[in-house]
Amino acid sequence: MDYNKCASEILDAIGGKDNLASAAHCATRLRLVIADNGKVKKSVLENIDGVKGVFEAAGQLQVIIGTGTVNKVYDEFIKLAGVEAASKDDVKKAAAAKAPWYKRAIKTLGDIFVPIIPAIVATGLLCGLLGGLSKAFPDMADTPIYTLLDIFSNAALTFLPILIAVSAAKIFGANIYLGAVIGMIMIHPSLVNAWSVGGGTETSTLWSWFGLWNIQNTGYQGHVIPVVIAVLLLSVIEKWLHKRVPEMFDLFVTPLVSVLITGFLTMTVIGPVFSQLETWVLAGAQWLISIPFGIGSFLMGAAYAPTVVAGVHHMYNAIELSMLANNGMNTWMPIATAANVAQGAAALAVAVKTHNRKIKSMALPASLSAFMGITEPAIFGVNVRFVKPLVAGMIGGACGAAIASIMGVYATANGVTGLFGFLITTDTFVGYLLTFVVATVVAFVLSWILYKDAAEEAPAPAVEAKPAASYDDNCVYSPLKGAAVLMADVPDETFATDVLGMGAAVAPSEGKVIAPADGEVSTLFDTHHAIGLTLDNGMEMLIHVGINTVELNGEGYKAHVSEGDRVVRGQTLITFDIPLIQSKGYKTITPVIITNPDDFKDIHKAADGNVDFLDKLIETSK
Amino acid sequence: MKEFTYTIKDEIGIHARPAGNLVKLIKGFSSAVTIEKEGKAPINATALMKLMSLGVKCGDTVKFSIDGEDEEAAAKAIEEFMTANL
Repeated sequence: MDYNKCASEILDAIGGKDNLASAAHCATRLRLVIADNGKVKKSVLENIDGVKGVFEAAGQLQVIIGTGTVNKVYDEFIKLAGVEAASKDDVKKAAAAKAPWYKRAIKTLGDIFVPIIPAIVATGLLCGLLGGLSKAFPDMADTPIYTLLDIFSNAALTFLPILIAVSAAKIFGANIYLGAVIGMIMIHPSLVNAWSVGGGTETSTLWSWFGLWNIQNTGYQGHVIPVVIAVLLLSVIEKWLHKRVPEMFDLFVTPLVSVLITGFLTMTVIGPVFSQLETWVLAGAQWLISIPFGIGSFLMGAAYAPTVVAGVHHMYNAIELSMLANNGMNTWMPIATAANVAQGAAALAVAVKTHNRKIKSMALPASLSAFMGITEPAIFGVNVRFVKPLVAGMIGGACGAAIASIMGVYATANGVTGLFGFLITTDTFVGYLLTFVVATVVAFVLSWILYKDAAEEAPAPAVEAKPAASYDDNCVYSPLKGAAVLMADVPDETFATDVLGMGAAVAPSEGKVIAPADGEVSTLFDTHHAIGLTLDNGMEMLIHVGINTVELNGEGYKAHVSEGDRVVRGQTLITFDIPLIQSKGYKTITPVIITNPDDFKDIHKAADGNVDFLDKLIETSK
Repeated sequence: MKEFTYTIKDEIGIHARPAGNLVKLIKGFSSAVTIEKEGKAPINATALMKLMSLGVKCGDTVKFSIDGEDEEAAAKAIEEFMTANL
């Protein structure tokens, strides 16, 4: 059969490519959506060599061609018609490219921060706890155990730029070890720690940069943006060099030159620009809080979180210290508390409202940490990613800060905010409590109202999705790779006689089960040998890897999802060790069963021989 | 309405195969049957997925409630099936 000829005749008969809205195929049929049905010459279509029948159903023109040939005709057809077989990835990329630059920037920042959240949460919580305890029991600070715990608690925050550099290098496609080196340069022990500069330690001028400006001998501890920009620069330089440096020199020239240029520009341009920015922010903050009637505090409460995002909040220490030196009343700390707990409350609202387990499991500890005064996990991991919670937190922070100012709340020390702040605000307990509650409630309620789960937050498919154009809801796309087998030929009576439902089986050649379509995991057996899915198209499906393999009690199986998870087409569900399972005397043939067959008229195997992941396996009709 | 409880003796519990066979058996009767595992809401015994997701293990006790014209016969058949297979 001449597929090309068949396809071109079909295209002519439906009125040419201009009359075609979309094309898909099932196991036997081309499924075409036609712009103007009047232009379709049905009688011509039916007489084309290779076409076994034509009918219209569900808004589609269905051209029956036959198993094994329809896909070949389809391939020719989309070539002729100029219909792009767009992959899901392409669509996603196109959609991402359409987003405005600031949204992409925020998303990138979130992507960088998410993997390092466990490190920040662990040490952030410890940091908050220790800070609180040492305020409650001042003697504790002199004990050796405190010294030890203190090291644990601030390690991740002290070396934050290295963590960020590694994660950013992964995202930007730079060598992660070179990325780490850039991070290390920025917080090298030979430089004065940025936190202690905020606390009043003097720094000296390292170098007067070509007589243009002075480079301070200060590190970038706790900074976020400068290191991200530095690693982005590194990735650009590194990729540029990779392409141009001859292979035999690449291994030493590229890393050397990349680090040299990036390091130099970071320490002399990127870093100083941010240091200057910090100085301005500090001046701006001092001016803001001098505005009376709570207005200044209100504005500062709102602006606080964005300065954390920009990583220019490290100089606030200086404000607190000068206040304490002045009259012993630290009125800055309540503003910081309002801003911090409001971000925590906004993240908490996300944690409570979201149905996405991943977001939930991240937002909860992040929020807790924010209530103890460490806001980075909540801000970067949750609020910045979804933007609206950040805004909710800003408004909450503003309201809380205004209350604090009006009620004259002040702290008698510095170093802690949030819950532990109660320990240093005993003079104005009621005011601090009110500040805390107002900030929390306002931020929580607003965030709750504004936040909505986005569909695009689903994890990326593990297997490259097949062309979206050929997707058909009534077909089951193979969750495995291997040989398609009739259910009746499965060497087990329960499956072969359709007791559990109808479908087809696959004798797998690769030990992996993926999601055949978007849906939800309704059942995951403890032994991980079988998984039940409820697909968005209404199908309930059981994928049972192997026969009698429940007896293996999980050995050789690994689940990559949990019960209740949302899964997307192509996502890995279970991996299994074929040689191991076979060596124990079990068959790995895997029935793929539709367990609600009563909802379908016709269920039959739609593939012969070998199928790849997401090839058509079962065809149904409703 | 007839009710009875059964404690699972089979090592593996109600996994795919016995679940399928049990559902098939129950579908043969006209009575409505629910299964309840301690601490969980009762489910329709003909819903295979729900039955499997109950995660009934060895030593668990389940309660069957059978309601309908043929409840006597259904209860007897289910009890026999459970004793023989689980």
